[in-house]
Amino acid sequence: MHTWLVDICERLQNLRLVVWLVTAQYAYPFIQWTHFTGLSLWLGTTLALDFRLLGAGKKFQTAAQLSDALFAWNWLGLGIAVLGGFTLFATAAVGYIDNPAFRLKLIVLLPLALAWHIFVQRKSRTWGRTPETPAVAKLAGLMEIALWVSVATAAVWIPNY
Amino acid sequence: MPRLCEWLEQIPWIVAITNSAILISLVWLVHYLGFFLLVGTTAIVDLRVLGVAARNQKLAPLAGQLFPFAWTGLGLVIASGFIMFAGQATTFYPTAVFRIKMGMVLLAFVFGVIVQRKSLIWDRAPSIPTAAKWLAFASLALWIGAILAGLEVPAFIPV
Repeated sequence: MHTWLVDICERLQNLRLVVWLVTAQYAYPFIQWTHFTGLSLWLGTTLALDFRLLGAGKKFQTAAQLSDALFAWNWLGLGIAVLGGFTLFATAAVGYIDNPAFRLKLIVLLPLALAWHIFVQRKSRTWGRTPETPAVAKLAGLMEIALWVSVATAAVWIPNY
Repeated sequence: MPRLCEWLEQIPWIVAITNSAILISLVWLVHYLGFFLLVGTTAIVDLRVLGVAARNQKLAPLAGQLFPFAWTGLGLVIASGFIMFAGQATTFYPTAVFRIKMGMVLLAFVFGVIVQRKSLIWDRAPSIPTAAKWLAFASLALWIGAILAGLEVPAFIPV
């Protein structure tokens, strides 16, 4: 492990605010709460669009309309999730950078899922013009669901190391 | 009820799942993904009722599109949540925060059903009624509160 990275993590972990968050009773769940509330907005809206692209559920709206309705809150959700996630990371930074599940999530799966999400969201405007989506849209939606499930799986596995 | 909790904890397949790191992680995964889907989609409908999301779209088609996803999420949450509860039923059941959480979820669910059923009527009105906005606000607050209560449960369980 690069010593400078460990050094940064140690400094982060020892910030007065971070130390307070870890030691204060009932404070830690509030950080998790920020992460999970953001994730609800982010993944709830992301998965909803993927399911619509797949053609699952009702067809009251086209995928393009749904994507348009969800767009701003989708990204706001990611912002909140990242804020909470970074704070969670800060509380035990040195441990996290050594954790294989965390590394897999942050370095491999998350960037991959995020890039795919941007691609799918942009394409949903053309794929989603008609109530019935093309086969490529269904495949793309399915792939995005699989990618986020893999991100969440890695995240859930973090405490097991 | 305590007897029922003890019985739940001893069901062989519940014990098997609870004691397996892989299986219980899988259950947690389903619980998380389920409530992300449930809360995220419900929140969008609530925010639309409040007039802050998707203002250029009608409420009813958006609600009609999103609620089936929300109820799918709810199904996943209930199935996984039951396993999580059953494995530690005697610990969870007497914990106040856990009861508060369940109360919030139940109320939020009722509010969700009302919003879904009324969305067509609210759409036909010249503007969405104030009562509807209060209901949406309460639904939003309850779901966000339920997440917090759920996360606080471990902090309140005596070790």
